[in-house]
Amino acid sequence: MSQFLQATIYGLLQGGLLALIAVGFSLVWGVMNVVNLAHGSFVILGAYVGWKLNSAMGLDPFLGMLVAAVVLFAVGYVLQRWLINLVINGPIFITLLLTFGLDLLIVQGMNIVFSADYRSINTSYAGDSLALGSVRVPVGRLLAFVIALVVTFALVALVNRTRTGLSIMATGMDRGAARLMGIRARHAYALTFAIAAALAGMAGTMVGTVGTFNPAAAGGYTLLSFVIAVLGGLGNMYGALVGGLLIGLVEAWGGQYLPGTWVNALAFAVLVLVLVFRPSGLVGRAYYAARQEV
Amino acid sequence: MSSEARTEDAEAIERAATGRSAREPAWRRWLPFGLLLLGVLVMLGLQSQLYSGQERTVSAIFMFVALAQGWNIIGGFTGYASFGQVVFFGIGGYFTAVAMSHWGFNFWVSLVVSGLVSAAFGALIGLPLLRLKGHYFAIATLGVAEGMREVVTNVPQLTGGGAGISVPTVGKDATTHYLGNDGFYLLYLLVAALSVLVSILVARNKFGFALRAIHQDEDAAAAMGVNTTRAKVSAFALSGLVTGLVGSTYAFQQVTIFPERLFDVDITVLMVVMVVIGGSGTVLGPLLGAVALQFLSEYLRRNFTEVHTFILGAIIIAAVVLLPQGAVNYVREARQSGEWSLLANVRRYRL
Amino acid sequence: MTATPVLETRGLGRRFGGLKAVDDVSFSVPEGQVLGVIGPNGAGKSTFINLVTGHIRPTSGQVLIEGRDLTGAKPWSIAHAGVSRTFQIVKPFRGMSVRENVAVGILYGRKATSRMSQALEQADEVLAEVGLSRLGDRAPGGLSVADARRLEFAKALALRPRLLLLDEVMAGLRHSEIEPSLELIKSLKERGLTIIVVEHVMKAILAISDQVLVLHQGKVLTAGEPRSVLSDPRVIEAYLGQRYVQRREEGRS
Repeated sequence: MSQFLQATIYGLLQGGLLALIAVGFSLVWGVMNVVNLAHGSFVILGAYVGWKLNSAMGLDPFLGMLVAAVVLFAVGYVLQRWLINLVINGPIFITLLLTFGLDLLIVQGMNIVFSADYRSINTSYAGDSLALGSVRVPVGRLLAFVIALVVTFALVALVNRTRTGLSIMATGMDRGAARLMGIRARHAYALTFAIAAALAGMAGTMVGTVGTFNPAAAGGYTLLSFVIAVLGGLGNMYGALVGGLLIGLVEAWGGQYLPGTWVNALAFAVLVLVLVFRPSGLVGRAYYAARQEV
Repeated sequence: MSSEARTEDAEAIERAATGRSAREPAWRRWLPFGLLLLGVLVMLGLQSQLYSGQERTVSAIFMFVALAQGWNIIGGFTGYASFGQVVFFGIGGYFTAVAMSHWGFNFWVSLVVSGLVSAAFGALIGLPLLRLKGHYFAIATLGVAEGMREVVTNVPQLTGGGAGISVPTVGKDATTHYLGNDGFYLLYLLVAALSVLVSILVARNKFGFALRAIHQDEDAAAAMGVNTTRAKVSAFALSGLVTGLVGSTYAFQQVTIFPERLFDVDITVLMVVMVVIGGSGTVLGPLLGAVALQFLSEYLRRNFTEVHTFILGAIIIAAVVLLPQGAVNYVREARQSGEWSLLANVRRYRL
Repeated sequence: MTATPVLETRGLGRRFGGLKAVDDVSFSVPEGQVLGVIGPNGAGKSTFINLVTGHIRPTSGQVLIEGRDLTGAKPWSIAHAGVSRTFQIVKPFRGMSVRENVAVGILYGRKATSRMSQALEQADEVLAEVGLSRLGDRAPGGLSVADARRLEFAKALALRPRLLLLDEVMAGLRHSEIEPSLELIKSLKERGLTIIVVEHVMKAILAISDQVLVLHQGKVLTAGEPRSVLSDPRVIEAYLGQRYVQRREEGRS
């Protein structure tokens, strides 16, 4: 029983972090209909920023993640505004290819600069655990979980209550109408992408503190982001949270009770089934079902 | 109506009635087949001029031509971008490996059956998945491909799992004599030629017309009597057949295969890149794209070994931004409109 | 002796969640009639067409075409049964020429041809019927609104239908363009086609309809002769509101 509880706690903690990674991906897909195949590489990029700051200056990763967020925000803004916006009106496989090329570029770039060695960011306290009955809760993971939740809720508030956020949502729902009302669509898109990149980078630094990473790990995070975004409904931020927690649990329980890598097959089966039977996601309505593009 | 228009209509009716309108001169209809035949003969002649290393490189080009043509049927003509196309490659390869090593089939029977099994799989998953559009379809097919890889990895009794499976090529277990470089050159050439032939046939007849209509406006096509479900599923199954044949050949050539390679998402992406760069929805496009990309990849691999993937990524980005409709379509449109500027081309799809 | 109506709906309905877009619509259209369908925006007219042509499945009721129950059949089956339609927002096949657009219907319609060359020739005949012969080689992207509407007509006629559903074909046309469209519809009626015309342009409805059906909030409000329907106070109220009707009555007394 305590094994089950332990797996459940791990699953939830990991799930929170995955949710933070996926929420930006989901937002970008929902608002701009762009599936960013380089999303996982943003995560790893954030991890390397945190790692570099930590190894060069001893900066605590939970502060370093803020730097990673800023760096990735800038990178994301530039990429969207002056690269991805160039092809965004084309058929979908064009943007898929573009982001795939970006992913190759970034992952290989990291391989060249940092090598393929596994890294991790060590802190004095991340390894300590709190004891909750018979269950151990690692401090680092708990901290990451709490931060992930806080940031996700902050994102929801940003998007729903600020002018900037509303301009993003409006552009996502009806770009033509939004532009007619004076919203700069190119800028709105770039902001959205930048936010997604920043969140991914921040989460990446935290990933570095709770485990190891290397450039090749990027693909896995992209794939998980798909599954979570689909489960939660595109552009649905609470949905991404729920989806993230769910996937975290599935991974933890699956790893505990299923042989081999069947848990991955399970995750993909869930993805396909959700797409076929409930493409608007398990949680909530189809936000961007009626999309008007001008 | 003006009297001018009325005269034109009368002329049109008369033309139609007397059958005088020659839509297309006979020689133009046979041209693609003739060119294909010529191409095959040239490649056959070329073989004796190549030494083994070059022979293997050219065989790889044939393989990618076939893969690109296969993807083009569902992604280019029909407009359903499959991002899990490699699943057919893997199914074709694994079925052949399993059939030859566990069930004692010879290769040629395995080849044909693998193709049919891949097609059947395409029809099976096509029915639910082709109801999805755009990104959803792409992601769903990707999910199927990744899932299939996991399934294959987790049934080692049948497929050897992560440790791979080997086709028996020597000794008493070998059901078919290993083809060797020369033999595989010819086999890949055959598969490539077949894929181009299928592409030409689809493009020129009623079926291809339906696919194009579905691509451009599925609702309107359905309202005009096109059974869109049947057409889409057939296209998907056909693309699966072609891709499966390539996978089967690959498995025999490699002798030992592994799930990560046979279901590698990078292979799908390469298919898409080749078709997009060459020009999707055409017959020539995937052909040119495959050849160009293979040459490029080989060149980069040889001269910039450490950074070749990095440069490949940069080239993909550049190609997608500058020539999103692909070379063939770009040339075709530029000739019609007189607008050759690449900069103008960049403005096509931008926000 | 009553002949089988070309189209009959019985209790046809469609709900989206809690909203009944079309609610218990029952009527029939005899052969050769032109039925006008009117109603304020949101009345369910387009949904109604989509239900009949199979683009949306009904959640209740039946659709009978020449006596055959084709409720919930796929759009292509409906097309093969002899029903064709135009789309309110025109849907040409952009990468094909105008002629090829029409040829799709000839290749896949009710009396389908299998040979491309034959299909292209027959497409020319259809283009001649609607007056688009001179545009046969053009791409549909550059057509004027009036010509684009004609192309929709041509595509629908390519199926050699028995029943034609026209979805707001007059919308956006200039006065000078409405007359030729009306002429076309009249000529089609003379050829024996049964036509259902969904319209907002009342002048057109009056000019060509034999009967008029009024939809309001998904239900049938009334049906009958064009002039009497259009002066029915309930119909006026549906379009212009109760106050207008009251003022009109007050003005009269």
